Parts: sequence; C-alpha cells; structure tokens
Amino acid sequence: MSTHQSDGGTARVIPNWESCIDCGACEVACQRTWDLPPESDRIQVVALAHGTEDETNKPMQCYNCAEAPCVEVCPTDALRFRDNGTVRVDAGMCIGCHYCGVGCPFGAPQYPDAEIPEAEEASPLGARGNGLMDKCTTCEPRQEQGLEPACSSECPTDALLFGTPDELSEKLEEDHVSTPFSDEAARIVFGDDADEIVGE
Amino acid sequence: MATEIAFELPYTEWNWRIGVYIAMIGIAGGAYLTGYVADLLSARGNASEHGRIAKYGYLVGLLGLAIGPPVLLSHLATPFRAMLIPLTMTNLGSWMAIGAYMLLGFGLGSFLMFVWVTFGASRPHSPTVAEGEEGTLAADGGRDVASDGGAEDGPARAATGGTTGGIRGILNRIGLIDRLDSLADYTRPSEPIRLALGGVFAIFAAGVLVYSAMAYGSGATERVALWDKTFLVPVQIFGGLGAGLAAAVGLTAVADRSVSRTIQNYALGAAGLLAATLVAVLATVFLLPEQVPAAEPAVQNLLTTHATLFVGVVVITGLIVPILLSVGAVVGQRRDVISRTTATASYALVGLLVIAGKVALALAYLLAAEFTPMPLPV
Repeated sequence: MSTHQSDGGTARVIPNWESCIDCGACEVACQRTWDLPPESDRIQVVALAHGTEDETNKPMQCYNCAEAPCVEVCPTDALRFRDNGTVRVDAGMCIGCHYCGVGCPFGAPQYPDAEIPEAEEASPLGARGNGLMDKCTTCEPRQEQGLEPACSSECPTDALLFGTPDELSEKLEEDHVSTPFSDEAARIVFGDDADEIVGE
Repeated sequence: MATEIAFELPYTEWNWRIGVYIAMIGIAGGAYLTGYVADLLSARGNASEHGRIAKYGYLVGLLGLAIGPPVLLSHLATPFRAMLIPLTMTNLGSWMAIGAYMLLGFGLGSFLMFVWVTFGASRPHSPTVAEGEEGTLAADGGRDVASDGGAEDGPARAATGGTTGGIRGILNRIGLIDRLDSLADYTRPSEPIRLALGGVFAIFAAGVLVYSAMAYGSGATERVALWDKTFLVPVQIFGGLGAGLAAAVGLTAVADRSVSRTIQNYALGAAGLLAATLVAVLATVFLLPEQVPAAEPAVQNLLTTHATLFVGVVVITGLIVPILLSVGAVVGQRRDVISRTTATASYALVGLLVIAGKVALALAYLLAAEFTPMPLPV
C-alpha cells in the first residue's frame, strides 16, 4: 500500500478500462465516503466518443499528473504539487476561472455550485463548492489510515488500479492489459515514468 | 448511468461572457494603440483632428475596459478575490495572470491619457483660431465654437479651457468639467513626458492585444485546435486594431461632428486593418485544417452549425460591409456625392458593425471550438 510518494513515485488511481462495466460504484463510493452532493463529480463514468461506433463509458478522475497542465495555467497558484507529488487545490486561492478545466486533458476539474460539506477530514483537500474548482483528492485521509481510495477499494471488477508507477506497471502486467493512455497522455500523467508504464 | 461532463465542448467551461470579455479587451487595446499613433502624429501638424482620434481612441479603450473585465468577473466564482490582483495573480507562467497585470497597467494608462488630452485649459490638440484646417474654421473665427456645442463659447475660451467636443459638453452640463480640468492641468506632465508615458502604456495595450489571443486556452496542452496561436494571434491583433480604430472614428464623427480629410484617412486605415483581419480569418478557414487536421471539425462548425453567426455576422456584417462602407463614404465625400450627415452616419454605422462583428467572432470561436481528444486512445 502506498500512502505517499516513495522511491517508486507518486501513488495514483488509473483505470483498467477493459474491466469497467459502467456500474457507477466508484461514483457512489466517492460521494458516500466524503458526504458529497450528487452533483459532485470527483470521479465520473463518462461517455467517450459519444455518438460514434466507438462510444464507450469509462471512469475518469484526476490522475495527479506529473506534468499537470492545470498547475501550469492556474493564475493564482491555487493548484500546487504537494510533497508527495499529488496535485491539490487551495479553495482559499481559487477564483473559479475554469482555466484548469480548459487545460486538463482528462476533464478532471469540476465546479460544483452546491456547497460541499466542510467535513473536518475533507479540509483542506479540494474546494467546497460555490463554483470553485473541486477534484479527486486520491482519498489522502484514507491513505493515511492504510486504506486505498474509496473508488478503487469498492470497484467490483478491479477496473480502478491504485499504486505507484512501479506497482501499477506490475498490476497491468498481471492483468495482461495496457494503460488507457496514449504515449502523449502517459507523458503528462507519469512524466519520466511514462516509458515504464506505457512500454509494457 | 453515463453522462458526458468530462469531454463536453469548451463553451461549457467558458460561456458567452468570456467571448464578450475577449472581444472588448481586444477592441480596447486596439483603440488605445491607434489613438496613441494619432497622438504622435498630431505633432506633425493638424493637431486637433489627429487629437480627436487620440481622444476617442483612449475613450474607446476605457469603455472597452469598463465592459470587458466586469463581464469576466461576473463569470468567476470569487470576483472580489480575483480583483486583488497583486495578492492572487501570482503564477506569472499563466497568461491569465499576465493578462491581469497588462490590463491593470493599460487601464491606468488609458485613463490618464484620456484625461490629459480631454480636460484642462492647457490640454494638447485643443482647437485654436490659428488652425486653418478645412472644416475647423468658421465665419466667427473658430470651428471649435460649433463643436464645443455652445455658440456662446468663443475661440479664446476654447483655447483656454472651453468645452471642446461632445464629452466636454456633456460634462459641462452636469457640472464636472471644472474639476476635471483642474485635475488634468494639475497632473499633466510636459508634452514629451506625456507622450513617453503614453508609449509605456502602449506596451501594456499591445500586451492586452496579444493577451486577447492567448486568453483562449494556452498552456502545456493546447487542447483546442481552432485556437491555434499561429492563426489566432493575427486575427486578434488585426481585429483589435481595426475594430478599435473604426470605433474611434465612428465616435469622433458622431460626438465631434468631424468628418474632415484627416478623419477620412483614419477611416481608410481602419478599412485596411479590417481587410487584414478578413485575410487572417479566411486563412484560418482555408489553411488551418491543412496545417492542423484536428481543427477540421471546428472549422466545419463555423461554416455549418454556426454559419449565421460566423459567415453572416462576423465575415459579412462585421468585416466586408464595414470595409466597403468606410471606403465608399470616403470616396463619396471626396467626390462630393454624399453629405456630411451621410458620411457621419456611415462612420458611426461602421463603428457599430465592427464592434458587433468582433463580439460575434469571439463567440463563434468559442461556440465552434472542440477539444482535441488526443490523450485517449478511444
């Protein structure tokens, strides 16, 4: 179990799309765990290639990219890397300009209008609604308790994998599947570790 | 179960308010820059006519700033926090932060330059009896009398602080003119220093003009192919300059009743800049899909789904008609086949059309845009 950045790199949740059955359990687990309103989409099963023969429904959330475009474009430095390599939003700095929403290639930033409860354990992770940017926090408080993020923990088909790049590489190899990322996306998400993940 | 939030169109992130914001700051930056050029040219002679363009260029710059940034703030979740620019806009790698500082400097500059050329007894470019330009002298000794809006004002008063122009007339009627005159005379530096400061502020205005292109998505991932900067920057720069100058000419024609030969030359200049904008827009339509194949769907959106807005309002109403109208009015005036009133109405109409076209262009570029689905192998 990886709770912080280790020698293997930043721990992330990535999807194994070949196993996803579009049940929505990840969405429910996220909202229930953090007492989020239904309009909160820290993880969401989305339709990709909508209206085409390739249309498919897959879970998407923040991947805490090593070369996060959101961090680069945020004018107020509300988005920053934490010591463990994850990306966090400071609700006290965000102005809700949606620059991160336009910059993120994965659609992770959300801007819920509803007030998200300021649960003690949720602070300072994520924003609290009112149009401010909110995103997946990788369930950092759960990790500190030795638990996996709620979504990957409750996914019935193991379609959400959690771990450092080394661990993810091993899991993908065990399942004989590739990552859902193209080379370009993998470079954004994993940075220097991209070859290790995509090269399998 | 599945919904489509993650990969919706850019317009769902940035709605019409971003379009209005981008259009208005572009017009403002272009108007200031062309006004500043007129300010510099006034030193070469015929000061009052160049000065009119300078004054109304600075005013259009101010008006653009009065509309654009507040509309943007209304889009933000925390507008008051965003207004604390030195405290919040700390990431100077972000074009939004860069743009905020550019707007701050530009706002200060356009305000000061407008006040300095419009108010005060010793303001530059004010009409004098000695000025012999056609249309500036009347039988009573000074065209400024009529343009001041009051027959009781004579040339001597005009030269020493009269109510030159529509703006001064309006402010005179509401009793603010004396205070503004005092403020302007008290703060105005010498002419060389004023023009040098205007040059510094022009750098900010040019920055705002570039920012009006970069404000569309920029950063590590250029996710919207339609907003390719190679094509977008010329569109925004020529469009801002052309629309800004056309708006200043239109305002000058209406407010000061001035359609002199100098103003006509500026109208032709605006037509030239609008023609350059048209070329840049057409290059986007015909060349961008070849250079950036991912832009093909968005360009098709411009020509089909949003054809009324793009072809009808942007290209025809906002560019082609104003170009023809400007050139036609100038030619008509010089051949004495149209009246001053018709010419005034033409320049005013051109100003309105290009503003509408500029806003429509920004909206069309937002509405037609699509995210490039490059990262996901689906």
